[in-house]
Amino acid sequence: MLGNSSPMAEALKHAVLIVGALIVILPFYVMLSYSMKSPNEILTNTGGFIGSQEKMVDDYCIKLGNPKKDCYRTPVFFNYGSAFEKAPLVRYLLNGVFVTLSIFIIQVLVALPCAYALSKLRFWGRDVVFAMVLVCLLIPVHAIALPIYLMLAKLGLTNSYAALIIPWTISVFGIFLMRQFFMTIPDDLIDAARIDGMSEFSIVWKVMLPCAVPALMAFAIFSVVAHWNDYFWPRVVITGDRNYFTPPLGLREFTGGADGDFYGPIMATATIIVTPLIVAFLLAQRKFIEGITLSGMK
Amino acid sequence: MSEQTTSVENPPKRGASLKAAEARTRLISYLFCLPAISLMIIILLVPIFIAGVLSFTDYSLGNTDFNWQGTKNYERIFGRSSYQKMLWASATYVLVVVPASIGLGLGAALLINSLRRFGDFYKAIYFLPVMAALLAMAIVWDFALHPTIGIVNKTLASGCGTLVEGFFSWGWIPGVNGAESWYSTSCADEFPHWLGEKKYAIWTICFIGIWQAVGFNMVLYLAGLTGVPRELYHAAAIDGVRSGWERFRLVTWPMLGPTTVFVVTITAIRSFQVFDTVEALTEGGPAKSTYVMMYAIFEKAIRENLVGFGSAITIVFLGFVLVITLSQRYLVERRVHY
Repeated sequence: MLGNSSPMAEALKHAVLIVGALIVILPFYVMLSYSMKSPNEILTNTGGFIGSQEKMVDDYCIKLGNPKKDCYRTPVFFNYGSAFEKAPLVRYLLNGVFVTLSIFIIQVLVALPCAYALSKLRFWGRDVVFAMVLVCLLIPVHAIALPIYLMLAKLGLTNSYAALIIPWTISVFGIFLMRQFFMTIPDDLIDAARIDGMSEFSIVWKVMLPCAVPALMAFAIFSVVAHWNDYFWPRVVITGDRNYFTPPLGLREFTGGADGDFYGPIMATATIIVTPLIVAFLLAQRKFIEGITLSGMK
Repeated sequence: MSEQTTSVENPPKRGASLKAAEARTRLISYLFCLPAISLMIIILLVPIFIAGVLSFTDYSLGNTDFNWQGTKNYERIFGRSSYQKMLWASATYVLVVVPASIGLGLGAALLINSLRRFGDFYKAIYFLPVMAALLAMAIVWDFALHPTIGIVNKTLASGCGTLVEGFFSWGWIPGVNGAESWYSTSCADEFPHWLGEKKYAIWTICFIGIWQAVGFNMVLYLAGLTGVPRELYHAAAIDGVRSGWERFRLVTWPMLGPTTVFVVTITAIRSFQVFDTVEALTEGGPAKSTYVMMYAIFEKAIRENLVGFGSAITIVFLGFVLVITLSQRYLVERRVHY
C-alpha cells in the first residue's frame, strides 16, 4: 500500500512469502531432484538434491542378456536416456509443437479479417455478427467436448491431427481481443492505404497485422501455453494411436504401467515437458504475465 | 479511389458507383467474416444443439437408432446417489478452490505490492505453477504425496517425537490434549494416504487446484492494485484512517471490486472444468468422492459410450457455467463497488 512499514514488518512479510514460495516450489524441486536420482535413492529418500550419481545397474540391460559390467549407468543419464528411449518422446514433442503452432496460426488467419471487418468496415448485419461473438464468448470449448467428439467420430477423424486442431481453430476471444485493439487504430491510416490503392485484403495483412503485433504476441502466449499444456482434449480424441500423442499424453502413458524403478525416467519426462515454457517465462516474464492474464482485459 | 475521378467526369454515374463501392465493401465484409461465422456455428453452436437433443435420448456411438427417453437422463443426474455425489464433488471443489485461491492470491498480491524490494522475485515464483502443464505437476504431486516414500509424509514423519510434534499437537494450549491431536495420532499410527482415503482425497485434489490457481489470481490482483489511485490513501489518512486493516477495508477492497468479480468468475469456470488431476490421480474415487463433472462426462460418454446420459451432464454443466458468467456480466454492468 504505502510502503512505509517498519523493518520488522518488512521481515515478517518476507517470512510469510518465503513459506508460501517453498510450498509453490516443492513439486518443482521433487521433479528436478527425482529426475536425477537413482531408483534406490528415490525409494530411501537419500542423496540430497542431485543424488550421489554413483553408477547403478540397469536391470533392463541385464534382462537383454548383456554382461553386468556393461550395464552400469550414471543415474541422471539413465533417467533422461530412458525418457527418450522407452517412448518416442521426440515424436510427442514434435507433435506438440506442430499442433500448438497450427492452432495459433489458424486462429489468427480466421480472427484477423473478421476483427477488421467488425471494427473498420460498415456493413449490414455487423451488429448481429458481433452479438454472435459475444454469445460464443460464453461457451467453454472443453464443456462441449462430447458433441464435438461425436461429430469428429462420425467423420472418422478421431486419432488424427485434424481432431487435435479443428476444435480450436475458432478463437472467439481472439476475435474480440483483436477487434478491441483495431478500434484504437485511427481510420486515417486505413484511408491512406486505400488511397494508395491497396485492396482490403492487403490492408488486413500488410497494415493491420503489423499494427497488431503487440496484441498478437500476448495472444500467442495465451494460446500456446493453453494448448501445449492441454491434456483433456488430446485424451478425448486420441484413443490409442501413439503417432498422434502430444507430450502430456505421452507422460500419462508412461505413468500407466510404471513400477518404482521408473520414477526417475518419469520425472525426467515431466521435466522435459515443463521446461520449455518455464524457461521462456523466466526470460520474458512481463510478456508472459500479460499474455496469460489477457482474459482480464475484457 | 478510381471511382472518384470517373464520377467527376461523369456526374450521373456517381450514385451508381458509390452504390457499387458499398456493395463491394459489403461483399468483402461478408467474405472476411465468413470463416469465423461458419466455424462459430459448426464448432460452438451446433454442438450445443446436438448435446441438447441427445440428452433426451439413449444414443450410443455406433448405433444407427435411438429411443427418446424424455427427461429420464436428467432425473438420473439429480436422483441417483452416485450422480448426486458427482454434483457434490464438483460443488465442493469449486467452493473450496475459489475462495481459497482468491484469498491467498489477494494476500500475496497485497504483500508483494507493499514490499520495498524482491517483489518481482516472489511474483515469478508464485506464477510458475500457472505455466507448468497441470498433468505433469499432478503426477509429481502424486509422488510427493506417496504414502510411504513421498517427501510430504517423510517430512511429516521426521517431525514426530521432536519439538515439531510438540508444537503441532497443540498440547501447549491449555485444555488441549496433545496426544489426541491429528499430528500425534498420525505419528503413532501412520500418515494418511492423501489420495487413497475417502476422507482426504477431495481435499488433496482441491489443494493441488489451489496451488495452481493462486499465482494467476495474484497477478490479476497486482494489476488491479496498480489501478487504485494513491490520492485515495492520502485522503483516507487525512480523514483519520490509521490502521492498515481499515485502509484495506475502506479503500483497497472497494476499489478492487471489479477485479474481484472477474477473478471469481474466471476461477469458478476453470474450477468447474477440473479434469487433469482427477483423471491422473484418483479416477473419481475413492467411493466417487472426487467424481467431478468433467471426469463424469469423460467416463460415461466417451469410455462407456453412454452418449445420451453424457449429453445430459454436458447440458447441466453448461447451465452452471452460464449462470456464473451471466451473473458476472450483471454485476459488471452495475459497476460494483462494494
